[in-house]
Amino acid sequence: MRQIFYLALQTLKRKRFRVWVMIGSIFLACATLFVAVALSKGISHTLQTALERLGADLVAVPAEARDEAEAALIAGSPTIFYMPAALEDRVRAAPGVERTCAQIFLRSLSAPCCDSEVSLVGFDPQRDFTIAPWVLQKLGAPLRNNQIIVGAKVISAVVGTPAKAIGQRLVFMGKPFTVGTILEPTGLGADYTVFLTMDTAYQMTNDSPLYPLPVKRDQISAIFIKLEKGAEQAAAALAIEQSIPEVKVFTANQLISSYSRQLHSLVNVLLAAGGVFCALALSLAGSLFFLSVRQRMREIGLLMAMGARKNFIFRLVLLEAVCISGAGGLLGVLLGFVAVRLGRDRMAELIGSLYMWPDPPYFFKAAGLILLAALITGGLGGLYPAWRISQTEPYEAIRRGE
Amino acid sequence: MIRIEALSKRYKDATVLDGLDWRVENGGFAVITGRSGGGKTTLLSAMGGLTRPDEGRAFIDGLDIWKLSEPELASLRNRKLGFIFQFPSLMPSLNMLDNILLPIAFSGRSPNLEDRKFALSLLDMVGVGGKEELYPFQLSGGQQRRAAIARAMINSPPVLLADEPTGDLDEKTESEIMRLFQDINRQGTTIVMATHALDYVDLGKAYTLKGGRLIPYEGAEVAPAGAASRGQ
Ligand SMILES: Nc1ncnc2c1ncn2[C@@H]1O[C@H](COP(=O)(O)OP(=O)(O)O)[C@@H](O)[C@H]1O
Ligand SMILES: [Mg+2]
Repeated sequence: MRQIFYLALQTLKRKRFRVWVMIGSIFLACATLFVAVALSKGISHTLQTALERLGADLVAVPAEARDEAEAALIAGSPTIFYMPAALEDRVRAAPGVERTCAQIFLRSLSAPCCDSEVSLVGFDPQRDFTIAPWVLQKLGAPLRNNQIIVGAKVISAVVGTPAKAIGQRLVFMGKPFTVGTILEPTGLGADYTVFLTMDTAYQMTNDSPLYPLPVKRDQISAIFIKLEKGAEQAAAALAIEQSIPEVKVFTANQLISSYSRQLHSLVNVLLAAGGVFCALALSLAGSLFFLSVRQRMREIGLLMAMGARKNFIFRLVLLEAVCISGAGGLLGVLLGFVAVRLGRDRMAELIGSLYMWPDPPYFFKAAGLILLAALITGGLGGLYPAWRISQTEPYEAIRRGE
Repeated sequence: MIRIEALSKRYKDATVLDGLDWRVENGGFAVITGRSGGGKTTLLSAMGGLTRPDEGRAFIDGLDIWKLSEPELASLRNRKLGFIFQFPSLMPSLNMLDNILLPIAFSGRSPNLEDRKFALSLLDMVGVGGKEELYPFQLSGGQQRRAAIARAMINSPPVLLADEPTGDLDEKTESEIMRLFQDINRQGTTIVMATHALDYVDLGKAYTLKGGRLIPYEGAEVAPAGAASRGQ
């Protein structure tokens, strides 16, 4: 067995250029595939997070503010829109609706604490279900009026680690707050959001001379809706819109769909490139390998004359194929890894701050699978030449190898 | 002992071996001449287990070789036969020592220290001592051929089959290598050699392969006048 490895390795070392062409083509295919797979996983990861973050099946916003609202809900863009708070009761009464909660969006502002603008959002700590229950639980007691829950990015600029941030005092519009707890990073607008109680939100806009437009107590920005089990999102949304024309109702899927369309077209391009490279690699490496086995017919015939069995020849050729495809695959996923790392931040610039890469374990899984696929493909590709040559009589192999 | 019975080999349009009966005694030295394309390589291959004859049988050491299974036949080629070809046949990717040791790997074990010592002594014997670390391309054609002879002998086979082993070498090298074969034969190895170097027909018992039949050599009818007398 040691000899077979040695012989295969020595042979590969000899035809260096050709071997590198084969390895290179496989490498290119695997690298592209790796990046495409990582990206597409990242996209579904991002969308999943967006959905979870939303925490609701439907979101109702003022009908006249539909476009700004869509952007605001996902990316937290700096817009404000209001509707009468009384609408919430009517929405809650609609068929299929299980629960609702309202939030009020205040104008985004740049605060001395933070690098980028933060959004202030008022919510009802008793009823809200869009902030994960465990976040509120961590507080220990209900959120008090001078406490805030902050997004992961709001705080990192000020005190560094989130753990240190709890209990810190931050000042917004002249009013001091204590950080009650911090949200997990989401990659979404929530990372730059400061959540405070509804009461505080109303009060601030009225008290602070810094806030341009006071918000009245009976105004809200969005109604988050949880449906009863089995209720269909699109149908329920339509029913609500028909009975309450003052609101526009987005389904959770709708909200993320424009974003996902944009990301998916990018992935499709990459996947197509990966497909083309794979086809190229298969035909190029495959035919080169076939050729190189043919060219070595005499050598193989000589091995047989020296006493090598068919079986040995078969394994030798197969091993060579697997070595080549394995090396290509390994280099491919390694470079894919590097490309993903280098492109990490560039990616966020390219398609918006929302984009999230998959977790590291996924990368390893993808790398492993692609490598395995390369090895298996190499093995399958090597089967035919290996079988052909091992079935040839030594005399024929020697004669035809001239 | 080598024996063939009614051995025939045909290709589409030609009968290359036509019911040959022949034997070579243990320790014998048989020289087969005949014009190019006469079937010498085919004959050596059919009796050496490299190509299956259409009819007839071939015996090595009493074994009917074409009745053996593929692994058995491979093992027979490995242990009982040493092939020397008419072209450079060392593995270009291996150095001399690894080349010489290669047949040992096919006998199902890893070369040990003894084997290495033996390989080095064989290299010495064939006249390329001290070159075990070099690769084939670093050696002359004659040196490579000598090394190939050493490789054929690493498993101490009772029989060497040499197919025009000096075909592409200069005269001086040719005569040196022929003398080497003579020495090897004197130490007991049976040799069957195909050659059209008619100077050396008297190394052993000479035959001519002609029209698919093997006949005792009767002088240089196929060679230019004078060529046959040179070796006598
Ligand atoms: N695989 C083959 N297919 C067809 N013809 C062959 C094949 N092998 C050998 N021959 C023919 O058989 C004849 C004998 O060849 P060979 O044994 O190589 O002769 P020699 O070694 O005496 O030169 C030649 O005419 C050659 O062309
Ligand atoms: Mg020949």
